[in-house]
Amino acid sequence: MLVGFAGAAVAVLALSAPGRAEPPECEVPPELLEVSVKLPHLAERLGARRPVTIVAIGGGSTKGAAAGAPELAYPQRLQVALAGYYPDVPIAVVNKGVPRQSTQEMVERFPTDVIAEDPVLVVWEAGISDAVRGIEIEDFAPALQAGIDEVKNRAIDIVLVDMQFSRRTSTVINFEQYLKALHRIGDLNEVYVFPRFEMMRYWSEQNVFDFDEVTEAERGRLAAKVYDCIGRRLAQAIRAAVE
Amino acid sequence: MPEPSTSRDLRLDFFRGVSLILIFIDHIPENILSYFTLQAVAFFDAAEVFIFISGFTAALVYGRRLANKGALYATAQVLRRAWQLYVAHIFLFVLFIAEVSYTATAFNNPMYNEEMRVTDFLDKPHIAVIKALLLEFQPNFLDILPLYILMLVIFPAILLGMQRHWLLVLVPSVIVYLAVQVFDISVPAYPEGHVWYFNPLAWQFLFVTGTVLGDRMRRGTSLVGPLRLAYPVAAVILMTATMVKVSWTIHGVWEPFPGLFLKELWPINKNNLSPIRLVTFFALVVLVARLVPRHARFLGSAAARPLVLCGQQSLEIFCLGILLSALGHFVLAEYDSAMVMQLAVNAAGIVAMFLTAKMIDWYKAMDRMPAAAGGRGKIAR
Repeated sequence: MLVGFAGAAVAVLALSAPGRAEPPECEVPPELLEVSVKLPHLAERLGARRPVTIVAIGGGSTKGAAAGAPELAYPQRLQVALAGYYPDVPIAVVNKGVPRQSTQEMVERFPTDVIAEDPVLVVWEAGISDAVRGIEIEDFAPALQAGIDEVKNRAIDIVLVDMQFSRRTSTVINFEQYLKALHRIGDLNEVYVFPRFEMMRYWSEQNVFDFDEVTEAERGRLAAKVYDCIGRRLAQAIRAAVE
Repeated sequence: MPEPSTSRDLRLDFFRGVSLILIFIDHIPENILSYFTLQAVAFFDAAEVFIFISGFTAALVYGRRLANKGALYATAQVLRRAWQLYVAHIFLFVLFIAEVSYTATAFNNPMYNEEMRVTDFLDKPHIAVIKALLLEFQPNFLDILPLYILMLVIFPAILLGMQRHWLLVLVPSVIVYLAVQVFDISVPAYPEGHVWYFNPLAWQFLFVTGTVLGDRMRRGTSLVGPLRLAYPVAAVILMTATMVKVSWTIHGVWEPFPGLFLKELWPINKNNLSPIRLVTFFALVVLVARLVPRHARFLGSAAARPLVLCGQQSLEIFCLGILLSALGHFVLAEYDSAMVMQLAVNAAGIVAMFLTAKMIDWYKAMDRMPAAAGGRGKIAR
């Protein structure tokens, strides 16, 4: 009886605070955590407690080399955070980040890198290289649409992740229209867009992560912290979308 | 037949001035005021206004010189103007390089280095500079001037063609525009894979239409008849388009509001001047030409004066606007981007543009003064 009670208490604890030591710097305003769409296929899989494969496809920030080790990239942090929420379901997040690829180039590797992994959810981080390379919105938007269609037609759920925010790059790269286009495509397809840009802007405004006055090694550790926060918030959004 | 125009058409100056202010506002990213510019309510934006009016004015000014002083004189004058624009472009490019170099040295974040190598060209400055001189390197916001320069370089040919028959100019222009729409032709730029942001093969049509209309007006051809016919159609087109676009803008800010035909129409191509942009812009031109009389009282008012002056000094004010928007964005990014600050940056920039236009006008008046004081007849235009 006592043992059973203790077990239940641990389970409740695990549900309410999955990472247990939730770092305070990862906090974001509640409106950035609103999720209005559902992930039915993932929900079904989790409900049945069958193994879940998630593919994270994207660019350099998905690969996460800046943090120094593969397990510090955001897809791996997502896997850890999800394991906290669903301890009795085997969940694997496969990292398919390749730096400096346009959305079109990513779509071209969907058959081998995404579909072949047989995922139930795809997390697609897109748009940075398109903005850097100045690819036309009229090419970016259809490429994104093609990728979403390819995944949805196979009864796989999809979540989009928008760009990284940085105060300084925006003076030389115009992210705004790509950001708007990405969110509009998500909206038109009823696909959830994880607002990474706004979250990172919030952290920047709060001076949570200061990259300016620190050593090279410290910058890597900071990057790992940011990726960890991204992974945690993304896991939280995904949980909200399957409830 | 109405008398050929001798005095300046202040409508052109006024609306060009407005377009310059709007270009400044739109070029500051995430600017609250950009929700109140043309691009928020129309499928086109200030770039169309600027290029069209530039073509129109060029036809008026240089057409007169061609008639008075001959082809060689007019051509030499046009090319001198193109050269001034070219020098202005290079000046802006130097400022851009300074900005990027600053960003690159201040840039310490490994999370971006791998992906956002915007500073790549700093590794090969010799190539970047040559490509800029060739107008092939058009970094962020330095893209309208190359189009305008190219338009002026071909303008003497347009002018001479129009002297024979305006269709001789308009027909090839339409054909090239349509070819771009059908075959999706673009003009390559630097670095590899980039294209001219304002595809000159498409945007030339807007400039040429402006010149043909300007030329007709200079010759005193009455456009009242065609305007009266086109007016109702233009009104319907523009009202419908405005409703659709406003619904998109509201939808972008507040999702429950439906974006009308969003799925069917979006995205609308700017590089190649999509027919939707072109047709709705022409609708606006018809409406303005019909509703705003040439001697409308407000054009001479003190309130309109700063905008008219900006439009008259368009080259200088355009360059200043580009420079100020980069500066304004820098201030917002480095210090504070609260709404009050945004409004302050906008206001400061606009006032700076007004004052500069006033100052340039004053200098030009000084240059004209000795001739007038010497009593040698009319002030030269």
